Amino acid sequence: MQQTQKPEINLKTKKVLVVDDFFNFRLTLKNMMRSLGIMYIDDAASGEEAVRKMAVRLYDIILCDYNLGTGKSGQQVLEEGKFRGHINYSSIFIMITAENTHEMVMGAMEYQPDAYLVKPFAKEVLEKRIRNIATRKLNIRNIETAIADNDFDHALRVCEELMVQNPRNLSEIMKLKGEVLLKKADYKRAVEFYDQILERGNVGWAQLGRGRACLMMGNYENAREIFENIIAQNDKIMPAYDYLAKTLIKMNDPREAQNILMKATEISPRALLRHKHLGRLAYRNEDFSTAESSFKAAVEQGRNSCFKSPEDYTSLAKALVHREAPQEGLKILGKALKEFPDNNDTRLHVSVAESYVYTRMNKTAEARRALTEAEKSAAELADNIPRELALELAQAYMMTGDTDRGAVIIKKIVSSHHDDEEMLADVRAVFKEMDMADQGEELIETTRDEIIRLNNEGVALARGGKLSEAIAYFEKAASHLPDNKIINANTAHVLMLDMKEKGAREEDLTRAKSYLDRVHKIDESYIDYAMLMAMYRELSAGVQV
Amino acid sequence: MKQSMSFADILAMTLHDTKNSLGILFNNLEDIIAGCRSQNCAKHAEFYMLQYEIQRLNNSLIRLLSLYKAEKSQLAANIDYHAASDLLEEAAASHEILLSSRGIKLLTQSDDDLFWAFDRSLIEGVVDNVINNAFRYAKATVRISAAQEDGYFVLKIEDDGTGYPPGMLINEEKQPGFRREIDFKTGSTGLGLYFSMMVADMHVNRGKKGFISIVNGGSLGGGVFSIYLP
Repeated sequence: MQQTQKPEINLKTKKVLVVDDFFNFRLTLKNMMRSLGIMYIDDAASGEEAVRKMAVRLYDIILCDYNLGTGKSGQQVLEEGKFRGHINYSSIFIMITAENTHEMVMGAMEYQPDAYLVKPFAKEVLEKRIRNIATRKLNIRNIETAIADNDFDHALRVCEELMVQNPRNLSEIMKLKGEVLLKKADYKRAVEFYDQILERGNVGWAQLGRGRACLMMGNYENAREIFENIIAQNDKIMPAYDYLAKTLIKMNDPREAQNILMKATEISPRALLRHKHLGRLAYRNEDFSTAESSFKAAVEQGRNSCFKSPEDYTSLAKALVHREAPQEGLKILGKALKEFPDNNDTRLHVSVAESYVYTRMNKTAEARRALTEAEKSAAELADNIPRELALELAQAYMMTGDTDRGAVIIKKIVSSHHDDEEMLADVRAVFKEMDMADQGEELIETTRDEIIRLNNEGVALARGGKLSEAIAYFEKAASHLPDNKIINANTAHVLMLDMKEKGAREEDLTRAKSYLDRVHKIDESYIDYAMLMAMYRELSAGVQV
Repeated sequence: MKQSMSFADILAMTLHDTKNSLGILFNNLEDIIAGCRSQNCAKHAEFYMLQYEIQRLNNSLIRLLSLYKAEKSQLAANIDYHAASDLLEEAAASHEILLSSRGIKLLTQSDDDLFWAFDRSLIEGVVDNVINNAFRYAKATVRISAAQEDGYFVLKIEDDGTGYPPGMLINEEKQPGFRREIDFKTGSTGLGLYFSMMVADMHVNRGKKGFISIVNGGSLGGGVFSIYLP
């Protein structure tokens, strides 16, 4: 079999950062790098220092110890580096650990280092690793750039070209190919591809990919079985828990979803995003004790992480109210103001939550004052208020007696998310807490009916063959309801039906794609997305010929 | 939340700590050797012996910790596709210098397009262990090879020494179902064997399990250790 000739990698010009809390080991590593002829070597004694240095200089190679003492861990350095763009796809990040990697859990794919290296190692091994990684990065560069450009067909072509050459990093290319198929929403092909791999070996990532494809296609039973199986075989593959919880929510079993995430946080306690998710789920399930401990963990771990947000603090404060500790809740809100930059976003989060806590303490005047503060920040943020926060603001209005204003906001939320069961559950919870469950249900029902009627009218136009009218109708609706996935999906659909009749035009394809992108952004497992994408691909293939 | 610590837990923590010290020792020694070599001091060959012993210690600790985790059922195989040549090259890189200090040549042989699904760090543990043994018994050559045989991936480590004593030969017929109780009277060798068998056992694919075999002869006329993975 032909081997692509190995390009000689020149290490001498690389910029290197060495991160370890032990002076002795930093020295050893620096000596190793120097002996490879590398001139530019910086070092950092803590995660914080490492991130600061990475912000000023783009390093080609980062050698980072996993355990860095009290501050940021090696994993957090990696996450923050990727999150802030200090580490890009050509940088090499090697995680150095004191023990076998089996000790470590498998976290999210996008936050994994290029390699783990177990201490002690000879410099020959380090050099070999670096050269191997550099070679394979060169190898997949074209795939990565095609993915970054959203040119999935090209990415697939490159994957397939490379796969027949049997390069050293075959596994990595296969992983990428699966990801591209999932991104492209070509779930059927993804399942076939993963099945092929599983024929030859029981590879965890292929099982995970197959499960994800099932989840996206709406085969929840199937997906559930796959994820449960993965966990039974290896309980440290953490993404399996997250996808299993997602599947269970889709299957309308939020309690079991909570149990799964609780198991996951027991096995891997240091996972900020999962704690947040678990906290929200437990809060919705009215398990306030779990909500409290999860948000506490989120606040605690957020201290060193780029994923911290004021919401962790405000959610904890609200959970504390339900745990009969409102004073402690207020204290947490005070801490949030110190922890985050003083801007409208922070202030809105905190004052909305304050209003909630004071209301529950029956301190009406304070609650009103907090709400007035919230209003000011909300006015400045205008349309950039996240939907969860909008719901909380609405709740604050309702709790302080301004039911009408609250209802207006909630109506807007419901019309954008009329089929998002999680969001509707949150809306119901707000009304239930006010002892207004019936009114809430009525508001949801009427709003839902309005949207369905609106949608059906457009569908009727399309069915009646009046496609241009249907397009105009849906595009108008979509401009009013940019966050409603069904309206956006149908807008794309009628645009494409029209093209099927009259022939595809580049400009209309772009328009259709922008609606499809919205749909995918709102709900990445929207059932009809795959079908619409297939239609889109067919039409664009026609244009390219 | 935490239950009280067992003696095994305390032992494991102590092992971690010891391993860290060994790591520092290993690297400091490497610096000393480098310094020594640059001054053309002949002593550096002797230092290699020290490094060899540290590596042996370290391998034992890794094995012990792995076995401890297996016992606590925290150890699960982390299966992925790997190029056989990648595995062999890296094993060569980490052992070559030490072996050459005793005048032993390390040969590797595999097809460039041979890929297999296995747990790399567990298999590396097995290979390190066997090569470390070969270091003591080989005369001039150690050979690591990988190939596909009857639907199994076979990793062979051969040397040109006098071969294993008859009592240590295992599964000479290369039977997939072969299992044997390990006699720990043989000391650390027994532990190494036990570990290799456990690792082979953890590799399961479509109803088939991995196994090992130890024979004498082979292409170099000495000991031949093989691990078969389905």
